[in-house]
Amino acid sequence: MSRMNAMFKKLYKLVLVVSLAIFLFIVFDEIHNLDNNSKRYLSEHYISEGVQETGAINIVTSVLYDYRAFDTLGEATVLLTAAAILSFLVPLGKDKMLGTTFTMIVSQTTKFFIPFLAVLGAYLILFGHLAPGGGFVGGVVMAVIPILLTITYRVEFSEYKFKPAKKKLAEDIGAIGFILLGLVGVVTGSNFLANGQANFGPGNTGELISAGLIPFLNLMIGIKVGAGLAIIFNSLIKEK
Amino acid sequence: MEAAVWLIILPLLTAFFIGISKLYFKKILAPLVTGSAIIYLYLLILVINHSYPPKVYNVGAWGLMGINLMVDPFSAMFLLMIAILFLPVIIFSVKYIKSHKHKYFIFTYLMTAGIAGMVLTADLFNLYVFLEVSSLSSCALVALKNTNKGIEGTFKYLIMSTLGSFFILLATILTYSLTGTLNMAEISLEFKDIPFQIKSTLMSFFVFGYVIKIGLIPLHAWIPDTYEDSPIPYNVLSSGLVMKSAVYALIKVLYIIFGIDFLDQSGMLHIGVFWGVITFIVAHLLAYQQSNLSRLLAYSSVAQIAYITIGLFVGTEGGLIAGNFHILNHAIMKGTLFLVTAIFYYSLSAVKIEDIKGLGYKFPILSFIFVVASLAIVGLPPFNGFISKWLIVEAAIESGFVYAGFFILVGTFLSLTYYLKVIVTLYTKTEKELLIVKPTLSLRLPTIFLGSLCILFGIVPSIPLSLINKIPKFLLDNGEYIRILLGG
Amino acid sequence: MELAYVVVIILLSLGMYTIITKKNLIKIVMGFTILESSLILLLILVSYKPGGAAPILDKPYEIVVDPIPQALALTAIVIGASVTAVMLAVVIKIYKRYGTLNVDELRKLRG
Repeated sequence: MSRMNAMFKKLYKLVLVVSLAIFLFIVFDEIHNLDNNSKRYLSEHYISEGVQETGAINIVTSVLYDYRAFDTLGEATVLLTAAAILSFLVPLGKDKMLGTTFTMIVSQTTKFFIPFLAVLGAYLILFGHLAPGGGFVGGVVMAVIPILLTITYRVEFSEYKFKPAKKKLAEDIGAIGFILLGLVGVVTGSNFLANGQANFGPGNTGELISAGLIPFLNLMIGIKVGAGLAIIFNSLIKEK
Repeated sequence: MEAAVWLIILPLLTAFFIGISKLYFKKILAPLVTGSAIIYLYLLILVINHSYPPKVYNVGAWGLMGINLMVDPFSAMFLLMIAILFLPVIIFSVKYIKSHKHKYFIFTYLMTAGIAGMVLTADLFNLYVFLEVSSLSSCALVALKNTNKGIEGTFKYLIMSTLGSFFILLATILTYSLTGTLNMAEISLEFKDIPFQIKSTLMSFFVFGYVIKIGLIPLHAWIPDTYEDSPIPYNVLSSGLVMKSAVYALIKVLYIIFGIDFLDQSGMLHIGVFWGVITFIVAHLLAYQQSNLSRLLAYSSVAQIAYITIGLFVGTEGGLIAGNFHILNHAIMKGTLFLVTAIFYYSLSAVKIEDIKGLGYKFPILSFIFVVASLAIVGLPPFNGFISKWLIVEAAIESGFVYAGFFILVGTFLSLTYYLKVIVTLYTKTEKELLIVKPTLSLRLPTIFLGSLCILFGIVPSIPLSLINKIPKFLLDNGEYIRILLGG
Repeated sequence: MELAYVVVIILLSLGMYTIITKKNLIKIVMGFTILESSLILLLILVSYKPGGAAPILDKPYEIVVDPIPQALALTAIVIGASVTAVMLAVVIKIYKRYGTLNVDELRKLRG
């Protein structure tokens, strides 16, 4: 009887999911059939005017750091919250999974790779307004350095090289710097997080120092994301 | 309207500075948080004073190209709630919180920033981002005590809240793909040409997502677990602000984007009222069985939010006024009850109802406040809860929901039974010797302040009502809101 | 185009099914990750235009895909990753306290 019951329960859930899928299929189909591509005037404005208005060639970057920079502040806050939660939820204990020691090849290759990673991360962050990349991607690449150190040489070594307190400080400074850069707009008489509209001199489009505050905002987010992800990874792996 | 954006930045900056101060100068925590809360109170009053007629603030000076913040009477009412609750809770927590003090204040400030962002923003995706900020930091506060129950509650909270966010994000993406914009006013204009079925589907996604966060039956199961073993001052903010901000977002999305006519046509108003009635009856019955004081108050919160839902979904001017007044009153009453509970916990770690036996004679003033607040929440005159509940019943009966009015009266008796149980226990004499840590003034003062507001708003309801009376104008007729947001 | 929507729906239902049927906490977290990725794929689909170039305008292009959903996708990815990290931390914590990841056994241990 209980087996019947369990089977019935499973079937019931399956039917629920399948009916959700069919329902969604009908909805997507109807939405797709409505001709709604003509309504994209906002994105058309971004595409046609975005380069002149913000000075950044990468339109996704100009949406992220100029038109919708407030969202970016929010998401940076979410990441900071996650790092803060992890650092108090799992603070004690030593690493357990890394009892094994690697051969020399692994440790030497890691050492060899780290400068390249640093250069790649810096490039992605600083050229975020000109090429694919930006603060988030560059920050993730930067965070790979302490993560690699953790995996190859254990947490202790990684935390000796990059002190947890320093990482926390870097994260907070990145977040505060983002807000302060936003306040530059207020000081110069425009609105919060104003950049393209505040006439900081967009510079020559396509050069490294152009697009007003966007490279600096990218830098701040890069610092913040890199430090935050390193904190998150090390906290998760330290748990015993 | 520079102050509006400061309402979001200031808590964020404070939270980040607390993070730095934890590393280098630990001593300044109490002055830092209190000072920041006082400045925040000043900013809130400034913004609330200038909320009528509504003002728009363009973040990044992009106009309709970017994100807009808007202060209208509805959001001003929520800011008023933050103004009433935030400073007392901060002062209370400085003394009350013992472990992970820095983290507690970081998360509290982040949560407040998230709620202020949700309340102010007029952009659909921005709303989602700030919703995530507030719910993630709220999860963190549930886990703060690091006990078994707390961790379990956190996991349930995370699962449910992520599921809710998923549906909200899905609906937001589909809305963007239909309209090509994320500004609420423009979406509302574009939605006029969208077929009925698609609109109702989107609405059901929004409603489902937000209802999980609000916690109506049967999606309420996570709420008591998160209340049970979390820092009690956080519960004040949780029941007062976090759950209410989800109500705010739902009402804003429904009334501004979809419009009252569509809500009426699609039957959403009837569903909302019916759902509310079911919820508060079940929640009252569940509350009656609880022996843990925090859980009892949590179920009572679920029931009160159901009353609010009824008020807001009646769909008339009176209903909206009543619902909003009850939002404010519930925040104050539940805040008082939780603060008194927190003092009992602080003084003799009382958790269960039987633990507070005889405390009525040890803490005469605090117990009196507890009685006042619980009678107010039951809905007896002359307290504030009575007035807003009466207004809800009146509005429900006027617009034809007679059964809702009838069941609210039944619900009042149900809630009277379990609150009486607590009050009787409180004043039962006991022979047991009690070891009591005397609560300091910084614990008692915020409690007494909130308790006196219960009486004040009951005797002179015209003070908050002068603000609340302006709300329906911008919700029932979304044309006015849209015109202001578009800069007409 | 239609096929891509089907993929979104398959991912979404797979995630939903995982969440409501699986007993292992890690698998539930995986279900949420699958749900997140379905939404990100949906965002990319919303931004897609046939023959469009990536929105990096170093020279004039005829058709450029919609940049807004891509920016939203980045935000959604970061938020999803943060939530997943917190969930995993809580799961680790639960495992440490109860020694099991099975939902049913957790319920029994709690009594």
